[in-house]
Amino acid sequence: MAAVHLDNICKSFIPGKPVLDSLSLEVASGELFFLLGPSGCGKSTLLRILAGLEEADSGTIRFDGTDITDLPPEKRQAAMVFQNYALWPHLNVFENVAFGPRIRGVKGSELRREVLDALDAVHLADLVERRVPSLSGGQQQRVALARALAVKPAVLLLDEPLSNLDARLRDAMRSEISRICRERRQTAVYVTHDRQEALSMADRMAVLRDGRISQLGTPRELYDRPADRFCGSFLGDINFFSGEIAAGEIATPFGRFPLTGEWRGAGCAAIRPERIRIVPPGTAGAFSAVIRGGSFGGDRTQWRCEAGGVEFQVCEAASPERRTGETVALKFDPGSLLAME
Amino acid sequence: MNPFRRTLQYLMMALLALFLGAFLLLPVFTVVRTGCEPALFREVFLSPVCREGLFNSLRIALCTTAMVAAISLTLALLYDRFDFAGKEYCSLLMLLPMILPPFVGALGFQQILGHYGVVNTILTGVGLPRVDFLGGEGKFYSVCLIEALHLYPIFYLNLVTALGNIDPALEEAAANLGATARQRFFRVRLPLLRGGFLAGGSIVLVWSFTELGTPLMFGYNRVTPVQVFNGLNELESNPLPYTLVVVMLAVSALLYGAMKCVLGRTENSGAVKGSMVSRSKKLRGWKRWMPTMVFAAVALASALPHLALLGGAFSLRWYGTILPEQLTLEHFDNALSNPLVLPSILNSLRYSVLAMVLAVCLGVLAALICVRWRLKGAWALDVLTMLPLAIPGLVVAFGYLGMTGRYAWARAVFNPVENPLWLLGIAYAVRRIPYVVRAVGAGLEQSPEELENAARNFGAGPVRTLFKVTLPLVTANLLVGGLFAFSFSMLEVSDSLVLAQKSAFYPITKALLDLSQILGCGPAAACAFGVWAMAFLALTLGAAGALLGRRIGAIFKF
Repeated sequence: MAAVHLDNICKSFIPGKPVLDSLSLEVASGELFFLLGPSGCGKSTLLRILAGLEEADSGTIRFDGTDITDLPPEKRQAAMVFQNYALWPHLNVFENVAFGPRIRGVKGSELRREVLDALDAVHLADLVERRVPSLSGGQQQRVALARALAVKPAVLLLDEPLSNLDARLRDAMRSEISRICRERRQTAVYVTHDRQEALSMADRMAVLRDGRISQLGTPRELYDRPADRFCGSFLGDINFFSGEIAAGEIATPFGRFPLTGEWRGAGCAAIRPERIRIVPPGTAGAFSAVIRGGSFGGDRTQWRCEAGGVEFQVCEAASPERRTGETVALKFDPGSLLAME
Repeated sequence: MNPFRRTLQYLMMALLALFLGAFLLLPVFTVVRTGCEPALFREVFLSPVCREGLFNSLRIALCTTAMVAAISLTLALLYDRFDFAGKEYCSLLMLLPMILPPFVGALGFQQILGHYGVVNTILTGVGLPRVDFLGGEGKFYSVCLIEALHLYPIFYLNLVTALGNIDPALEEAAANLGATARQRFFRVRLPLLRGGFLAGGSIVLVWSFTELGTPLMFGYNRVTPVQVFNGLNELESNPLPYTLVVVMLAVSALLYGAMKCVLGRTENSGAVKGSMVSRSKKLRGWKRWMPTMVFAAVALASALPHLALLGGAFSLRWYGTILPEQLTLEHFDNALSNPLVLPSILNSLRYSVLAMVLAVCLGVLAALICVRWRLKGAWALDVLTMLPLAIPGLVVAFGYLGMTGRYAWARAVFNPVENPLWLLGIAYAVRRIPYVVRAVGAGLEQSPEELENAARNFGAGPVRTLFKVTLPLVTANLLVGGLFAFSFSMLEVSDSLVLAQKSAFYPITKALLDLSQILGCGPAAACAFGVWAMAFLALTLGAAGALLGRRIGAIFKF
């Protein structure tokens, strides 16, 4: 499996409005790498440039050090799972999966074995003769994955492959794809705008915004230490408190709190709702807040609280019944309040 | 994109443009250059005969289009609005009139409306005097009627497609705001049908304005196309037909321009189709059969000339009686024993196969350039490939004649006095390219580009992708385009009558015209010959209908 190096990739469809702006990136061999970002941030364009289906205006792409920037799509070893699967309706399941190996000169019993191996990996070996339109969405998605795996690609490219599936099937397929990629030590670049998908599956991930990488790291790093407000709010609910930051503390209307991070001067502190705990009154370091409302989510409840005229979210697991207007004591988890611009 | 590949694509576009330039624009230019003599224009507009010809041609065009619009709108609304008995068969039934060009249908029509034809026999039977349907002004209405009965499917298919593209939510919104059914029809649905009216109407208007075969068969000679045709024999000494053709071309352009002005603005009425539900109202009881009856009545009316053609072909005597008498196969024998017939079938087969191959190859290339490759200037090529629908066949045919007279290279490549194989093959192909481009283009637009990207992504080169994925995905469209190109070429009129000058090279239509003019058994033998042609076209159009279903209307879009 190949390592991927992208160096200063630029692309614009309208002059002066870059979709990708000098983007550089490295994906290690065998890594399941996620590109996460809102619609229009350039993530699918980047994937299509990797596949050779779009041409970068400038920059280079290397697979294991070999420059493939000018190679046509058919000469790259990058197999793609398309968002709408792009299965050929005039070919059955077997022929769809056999398409790539056949082009690579695989024939006869070896071809059959490779196709069945690929279909077996996605638990569809019993559907080889079925016509594509007769398959369910989940089955089509798995055939698309098998078709890509069958060519033993250097890099597997997945373009929002689960976006057309229902929630339960999506959950099942997430673990399937993770398992297959890890078992095969498959280098994979996965594009999605679903943060849960990225956080639950990625070895590493990049958050894209306006054609640039906003932050790069492991899911935990990005979730716990977002680089800016955009990354913080894109990866999940987050509270921002404005105030004066000095000497590792932020002064807010409801108290002074120690901060993690390098930021100095006027800025804000950010904290995830689940990092604010409802504690017994009188707990050291706690402050008072009034519950202004809440939304029950089964295993957790998201409370809307107010302290010192500032409103924020608190997430409480296995929450007891609470009333609007009730006063509670809250405490920030140590080290979870981040300073940022 | 690989620069070499891009250059190759531009080169192919340039070659295609060059071909269309040489065999479509140059003939038109030649006609215009030859015919644009002030003295000749003066002669055309001062001559009462030419003026009358133009006036009559315009009358035919307007009257035929009005008849076609009335028939088609009624049928299309019924088809779109209601679920009725045999609805799926009605669609196929609508293709029936297209199985014969009106030129041949006119043969059968004379059996029905002739002085001793079926209608007059019925009239005298009930004590009424005979009516001269085919004399005087009757000829005019007969020509209009037979052209309308032949052309309404084109208009109808366009309207059905346009109706199918209207999001029901648009009418539901109007209903929701209190609009009555009448208000919804006139203020929402009809304005949204403008595109369908323009697409179908412009073809019908130009087609009927320049139609040569039908007036020729009815002997209605005071129309411009027939005057042009009759001037062929003395073309060397009198270039007036060229000027008449230029005038026809200008009037055709004016007619199209006028329609575009009135109907040109089209809205994207299908933008919110996600909410699409069936809007057909299910009719119950006897009401289920009402729309079926209307469809059947129209189909019967349009089939009458063809039924009469059958009657004429299979009977020994059909004169002053309602039904034909004394069944016989003698006319088929007579037709086949005529020295013109068998060679004309073989000639038509040769010309049509050549035309089909050319039209399919060039049409596929044009569709790929316009829909897939998106080259700069592809829009101009798209317009160029659609032009044959707007330029009358007679103009192009005259253009080829003019080219052979004017350019030595054209005389060397295709001299109609010698073997017109290449000339007719190319002439037929150029006129049929729009059908192939529309058919294949529609297929390409409907099959996601990702399917081809996937093939490239899995290692297939551009050629392999074309043959393994792109073309198989549009096979049905390709077949339909090819079938139309072939079958319409087999019974093409204008080019055939003008360009096939030696009897050894006559195609079917010219042989039919000659046969019908032989005194005695000629018309009956022509009927028998026409039956063969009808059976042949029915087969190809039936196959096309089965392959494309409702989408068949897209082929006649302009």
